[in-house]
Amino acid sequence: MSSLIEAHDLTKKYGAHLALDRAAFNVEAGRIVGLIGPNGAGKTTALRAILGLTSYEGQLRVLGHEPYRERTALMQDACFIADVAVLPSWLRVDQAIDFVAGVHPRFRRDRALELLARTTVTGRRRIRELSKGMKTQVHLALTMAIDAKLLVLDEPTLGLDILARRAFYDALVNDYMDETRTILITTHQVEEVENLLTDVLFIDKGRIVLDSSLDSIASRYAAIAVAAGDLDAARAEKPFYERRMLGKVVLYFEQPNFERLQTLGEVHTPSVSDLFVAKLSGGAE
Amino acid sequence: MNTAVWLVRREIWENRAIWMIPLVIGGCMLLVALFGRVDLMTAAPEVPSRAVGQIFLVAVGATFFTVMSVYATWYLLDCLYADRKDRSVLFWKSLPISDAMTVMSKLATALIVIPVLYFVAADLTTLMMAFIISVRAHAVVGGALWHADLWLQLQVLWLYMIAATAVWFLPIAGYLLVVSAWATRAVMLWSILPPIALIIGERWFFGTHVIAHQIGVRLVSLPAVAFNGKLGSWVTTVVDHDTIRTPASIWGFLDPVGFVSNPQTLIGAALGVGLIACAIQLRTRRTEI
Repeated sequence: MSSLIEAHDLTKKYGAHLALDRAAFNVEAGRIVGLIGPNGAGKTTALRAILGLTSYEGQLRVLGHEPYRERTALMQDACFIADVAVLPSWLRVDQAIDFVAGVHPRFRRDRALELLARTTVTGRRRIRELSKGMKTQVHLALTMAIDAKLLVLDEPTLGLDILARRAFYDALVNDYMDETRTILITTHQVEEVENLLTDVLFIDKGRIVLDSSLDSIASRYAAIAVAAGDLDAARAEKPFYERRMLGKVVLYFEQPNFERLQTLGEVHTPSVSDLFVAKLSGGAE
Repeated sequence: MNTAVWLVRREIWENRAIWMIPLVIGGCMLLVALFGRVDLMTAAPEVPSRAVGQIFLVAVGATFFTVMSVYATWYLLDCLYADRKDRSVLFWKSLPISDAMTVMSKLATALIVIPVLYFVAADLTTLMMAFIISVRAHAVVGGALWHADLWLQLQVLWLYMIAATAVWFLPIAGYLLVVSAWATRAVMLWSILPPIALIIGERWFFGTHVIAHQIGVRLVSLPAVAFNGKLGSWVTTVVDHDTIRTPASIWGFLDPVGFVSNPQTLIGAALGVGLIACAIQLRTRRTEI
């Protein structure tokens, strides 16, 4: 099956600043992909390019479309929540449902109503009267009721409390995700999404520094914690990042000799957030 | 087509002033008709009934039309800016609606939907006012307000004015949309500054004032272009020391052929189309402020 998103040499300049620098990545169908990077790394620019909201140089195909030129066609099959709280404040919840039902051929009104019925939001309320968590619930209900192949979420839980964040991701995984759908998500809070991701894309300074499924992270990366005395032996295995904690040193390896590492200490697979920190603060090649 | 209807409906949801302002104007006029001084209404009984009828209809109509022009101008200036300011543009752009469709829906709202709404409001207001005044004042005054042919003429005049205004002011509407799609703040200021800068620049560097003249012509010359002032026969009515000139009939007064074939109209319309295309481009490029 061909990729849902294919990007080659994706470049975006803002004056002299390169927001995207020949970024290349593929997203396959049925995956939940986390696009993870520090502030200003180009996450949002990449998403804007994928959604047809900004022009770019290089090649980019999303669901077979060229996003910037064919945004209208693309939005039949893709939907997005770009940041929280972008629903217009004057809109009433029932108007929002009527409008999306009126203009979107793949919107299922009964589904939206069913999702909203689980919340405390009622149809006559205006968006401006709702709390931030409720706004997100409304937006999510509207978006999840669209039978789209690709859902893009840009910092979807920013500014939400822990309960609302948990409810958001639970709804996403339990009620929305199936093998016909693909989700691309950016967030700062890596810990919160790493259990639901199937793939990660690390982006730094406009370039993709890691493109991997979570399964292959385990076979490719390793970390061991060693005491100071074993440090030299461990360093001989060429770690790409070291981190001191509680009198021990944690070393991170890419494609190590696992057998030799095991003689030095207990080998474990680094978590996505640890790997992210290691990759970006250590040598990204 | 269905999408277009939803887009216009959305404009009316967002801008409740579209229907609230005409409602308030109509309400105020009805209050005046209900509680105004009857002796004023019955003054000057020597004025012919038709002239009173005409003045009444035109005064109500002109009030609605003037307010409508001001509101439509503000609406055009705000419509592509407001959703960028509150970032809801990111929601609208997540739906399969082209930027061209969005811009055209706003243009159609300003040039057709809003004027037609005001037209209906003006009609209802005149009918109700005529009825109230007929009941309150004596028969002569009341009768003056019920000339069916004048009423019919006013309908034609309104519809002609809506069409002529939409074509004549297309370049201004297009310009306002460009500013609205482009400005990152202070749309009002940005709409005024470029023409003023151009006018001053032209005077400094060339010592001419072509731009100022053209803008002036665009703003005030619609009546001269759309109406046939010379050929229409006028009826002059003397009231005390004042004379009131009213056209004898609307039919000789309208000049659709002259209006459509006027080069000023055609050049303006072409410029307007260009500016609207420009606004659509800007709408595609500029998502956030």
